Amino acid sequence: MASKMTTGLVGLAVEAYPQKKLKILYENILKTVSAMPSSAVYRKYTETLASQRLKDIKETPDLVQLEEKWGAGQLEEVIEQAKSELTLARKMNKWKPWEPLVTAPPPGQWDWP
Amino acid sequence: MFLVRSCTRLARSRASYCAQSHLLKDGTKLNSFSKSDYSSDVTPPTDQIPAVRASSSIVRQKLLEFGDYVAECLPKYVQQVQLTYTNELEVMIDPEYIIPVITFLRDNTLCQFTNLSDLTAVDVPTRPCRFEIVYNFLSIPYNQRIRVKTYTNELTALDSICEVHPGANWYEREVWDMYGVFFRNHPDLRRILTDYGFDGHPFRKDFPLTGYYEIRFDDEQQRIVRDPVELAQEFRKFDLSSPWEVFPNYRQTPELPSPPEVSSEEEKK
Repeated sequence: MASKMTTGLVGLAVEAYPQKKLKILYENILKTVSAMPSSAVYRKYTETLASQRLKDIKETPDLVQLEEKWGAGQLEEVIEQAKSELTLARKMNKWKPWEPLVTAPPPGQWDWP
Repeated sequence: MFLVRSCTRLARSRASYCAQSHLLKDGTKLNSFSKSDYSSDVTPPTDQIPAVRASSSIVRQKLLEFGDYVAECLPKYVQQVQLTYTNELEVMIDPEYIIPVITFLRDNTLCQFTNLSDLTAVDVPTRPCRFEIVYNFLSIPYNQRIRVKTYTNELTALDSICEVHPGANWYEREVWDMYGVFFRNHPDLRRILTDYGFDGHPFRKDFPLTGYYEIRFDDEQQRIVRDPVELAQEFRKFDLSSPWEVFPNYRQTPELPSPPEVSSEEEKK
C-alpha cells in the first residue's frame, strides 16, 4: 500500500518503495563518480550529497520526515532528480570537465560595451 | 487520503471566506487567513516564508558562491563568471562546449535549471567574434535565474541545444533569422519571422534601416511587385556621439600615440 493516493503532479506516479529506489540510485551515483579523479570538484560535491542522503535514508524510516529533512519536494521528485544526476555523472565521465580551460576568449570579448 | 484532506481544507477555507465577507457588511474588521483555516498538522505558508525580500548583500553572496561552484565544477568550459549590478549571475563559456554546460545546469541536483526562459543574441560588430549568444535559465525548485553567454562570428556554427531543451527550437530559428548564426544539429532550421525570399538578417548592425527591397501592389500589372529600395534623398551622416560620458564604469583609457622620434640629423639642422 502506497503512502498516498497521488503526488498531485501530472505524469508523476506514486512510488511504492521510494527509499529502496533512492538507495539504488545514490549508490549508482557514488559508483559512477568514483571513476573521476579525486581532485575533481564535481566528484567532491556529488559524493557528499549522495552519501549524506544515503545516511538520511538509513536513519529516518518515516517518509514525511525524510521529505521535510531534505526540503526538495516529494520523494518521487527526488527520485527524478537522482536519475538525472546519474545520467549527468555518466556523461561527465566522458566529457572530463575537470581539465583546465581549453580556449581563452579572444581579447576584449567580455568587455562591455 | 492526502487528496481528501486537502479538499476538506479547501472547503473549510471557502466557508470561512464566505463568513468573513458576510461579516464585512456588518462593519467588522477584515481578517485574512487565520491559522484555524488549516488543519492542525499543516503549517500555514505564512509561517515558512517571510514576506520580506532577502537583503541584497545576502543574495549577492549566495549568487557569488553558486557562480564559484559552477566555475569549479566545469573549469574546462567556463571562461568567466560575473554578477551584474542588479544581482544577475552571468557565466561566460567556451562556444565549443555549450551542450555539456547546459546539461550540467539542467541535471545537477544543486542547479536544476530546467526551464529555458529565453535565448537571444547581441551584435557587436567591433569584436573579432561579433555575436554574443545569451541563454537565460530558470531553476524552478530553487527559484533562481542564471544567464549563460557565449560568442561566435558569421561563419562559425554553434551547437543547437534542442536535444537538451526542446523549447530552444523556435528561439534558435529566430536567432538564425535575425542574426544569421548557424546552429549545428538543429532539427528544423528555417526562417521564422521574415517573409519568403527575404534577403539578409535584419538585426545585424550593418543591415540598413530601410531594408533592401520594398513590396507594393502594382495596379497595371495587378500583382505584388518587389523593387529594390530607392531613396529620394542621399544618405546623410550625423554625428551621434554624446558629449557626456555614458558608461563611466567601463571607461577605457585611450592609448596615447607614441611621441614621434626625432632623428638626430633633424636636430642638427
